[in-house]
Amino acid sequence: MKHVGVTKFSIQNLLGPIVFLILLTQFVGGASTSLQLITQSALCLFVMVLALQVFVGNSGVLSFGHGAFALIGSYVSAMLTAPVNIKDNSLAMNQLWEPLVPLQVNIYVSLVISAVVSGLIAAITGSLLMRLNGLAAGIATFALLGVAYNVFFNNKKIGPGSQALPGVPWITNTWILLLLAVVTLIIVYLLNISWIGRTLRATREDAMAAPALGISIFKVRLIAFTISGAIAGLSGGMYSHVAGTFQVQDYYLEFTFITLSMLIVGGSASIWGALVGTFIITAVGQVLLMMEQDIPVFGLQVNIPLGSRAVIIALTFVVMLLWRSAGVTNGKEFALPKFKRK
Amino acid sequence: MVQSILDAISLGGLYSLAALGLGLVFGVMRLVNFAHAELITIAAYTLVLTTQFPLVVSLLFTIIVTVFVALVMEFSVYRRLRGVNPAVMLIASFGLSTVLQRVYELMFGALPRSAVVAPFLRGDFKIAGLSITISSVITIVLTIAILLAMGYLIERTSLGLQLRAASADFKTARLLGVRSNRLISAAFGLSGVLAACVALILVIQNPQISPYYGLNITILSLVGIVIGGIASLRGAALGGFIVGVVLSALNTLLGNGRVYAYSWLFILVLVILLVRPGGLLSKGTELERV
Repeated sequence: MKHVGVTKFSIQNLLGPIVFLILLTQFVGGASTSLQLITQSALCLFVMVLALQVFVGNSGVLSFGHGAFALIGSYVSAMLTAPVNIKDNSLAMNQLWEPLVPLQVNIYVSLVISAVVSGLIAAITGSLLMRLNGLAAGIATFALLGVAYNVFFNNKKIGPGSQALPGVPWITNTWILLLLAVVTLIIVYLLNISWIGRTLRATREDAMAAPALGISIFKVRLIAFTISGAIAGLSGGMYSHVAGTFQVQDYYLEFTFITLSMLIVGGSASIWGALVGTFIITAVGQVLLMMEQDIPVFGLQVNIPLGSRAVIIALTFVVMLLWRSAGVTNGKEFALPKFKRK
Repeated sequence: MVQSILDAISLGGLYSLAALGLGLVFGVMRLVNFAHAELITIAAYTLVLTTQFPLVVSLLFTIIVTVFVALVMEFSVYRRLRGVNPAVMLIASFGLSTVLQRVYELMFGALPRSAVVAPFLRGDFKIAGLSITISSVITIVLTIAILLAMGYLIERTSLGLQLRAASADFKTARLLGVRSNRLISAAFGLSGVLAACVALILVIQNPQISPYYGLNITILSLVGIVIGGIASLRGAALGGFIVGVVLSALNTLLGNGRVYAYSWLFILVLVILLVRPGGLLSKGTELERV
């Protein structure tokens, strides 16, 4: 693997993705209602991919556990904002533990709380899991996801169980979501160029040499895991306000694979890669959906048979990995093309 | 009680077969082949769709189809990803797994296909007043037979020696004359055969085949090979066995709380990993980037 990752602040590294995000939100998100919805959920996914980038991209340790943090974030945010009468009366919630019913806070406060709660849980679980390495660490984080999913799916005292919790208030303004995504992006960028990002990448490149230089692998991984857990929680919280509902099934295997593949396809070593990956996977999915429903794409009507969409998405993904195994961006940050002087 | 113990052992055996299939491929190329699930699924489909033939013919055909799919995977995708970051290979195998699931959905439909495979293995018989299902006994017998055959292959043949050598240290094995491409293809082929065996046993118990049929057992066996010890095939088989037995025991013991069986299993896995990060059969800890 090539040694990639930024160490010095560069304004174009940061502004490039931000401008790209704003343009996308303006021109794609503003085009139609359905595209606006896609843009909104893509922004939530992008925040999730950023969370994965902080930990997976920098440390090189795969985590399947971030779905659990998104699940918890989404759950916290939904439970704190869903109207009391829905929590009290809806059939899905008829076994809810009493003290949970009257809880009620402002939407934005709920987002902060979901990030904090997820971050705390990431810190606690991370203090055990971050002692592990390699595949064992990956499987251990998967166990975390498994436990979270299993408990939330079956326990109707703490939530809606296998059903959906309806009535979660919407955030309809795309620009607020964009702002959240941009703020997260800046935080992640600053983190990547700070000592945390740099030492974490050092442990990724050489797990023997890094401790010899006085780096505690456990400590840097734990810090990154905590922060990335908090960001994943924020993303889950955002999504429950975009979808207007909370459902456990949204955060299991498919979610985990899709977000991880966005990161890997884009290039896991950079935030630009995270953005490109999220964009490509979302765009391919959307374009194929339109083709499947015989809607012209950019004035061009291409029809593909019903049901072939999912095959093509997954195939595109495999082909991209074969084409560029380090991701479309090769893990580099955004940079304007350099013109050579003669 | 006797039935519960037999069920636990048969489930353990089944999972150890699946874990062995995953472990073979992992050993030679550090690939966690998630698409192993789809090998089990295609084998199950083939078995169910060829019930008009005698079982032996149908089984033979199934093994051929499954090995073929396994080799196609290796030639079309994994061969081109040799030497890249194991995380990328794992993600590629997710992708491949999704591709195959969707292809199965297009070919066989999203609704479960079912047929009675080997009806003479259904039902139960009585020994000393105890009623015991035939399928649990057959599963145990089959599993032991296959494990013995695999054990012979791995411990006593040249191919097995090469597989073990490659698992221990692929680079050195190559330097000593092991042909990597041929060996990796052989590992994929064998994992295909094992997937077909797993499918046969699964189909006898549950003949409702959907595109996601093999997913559950693959995920759990993956957990198994990690707690058993990734570095060795014995560890993989042992880990798979433990996961199967524990899951079966939890299902019996927890009663109404059995919906939380997976949680307890995963917590146990976490504890085992924290105590022995390299797995139960490991010797000391190893640093590996996955």
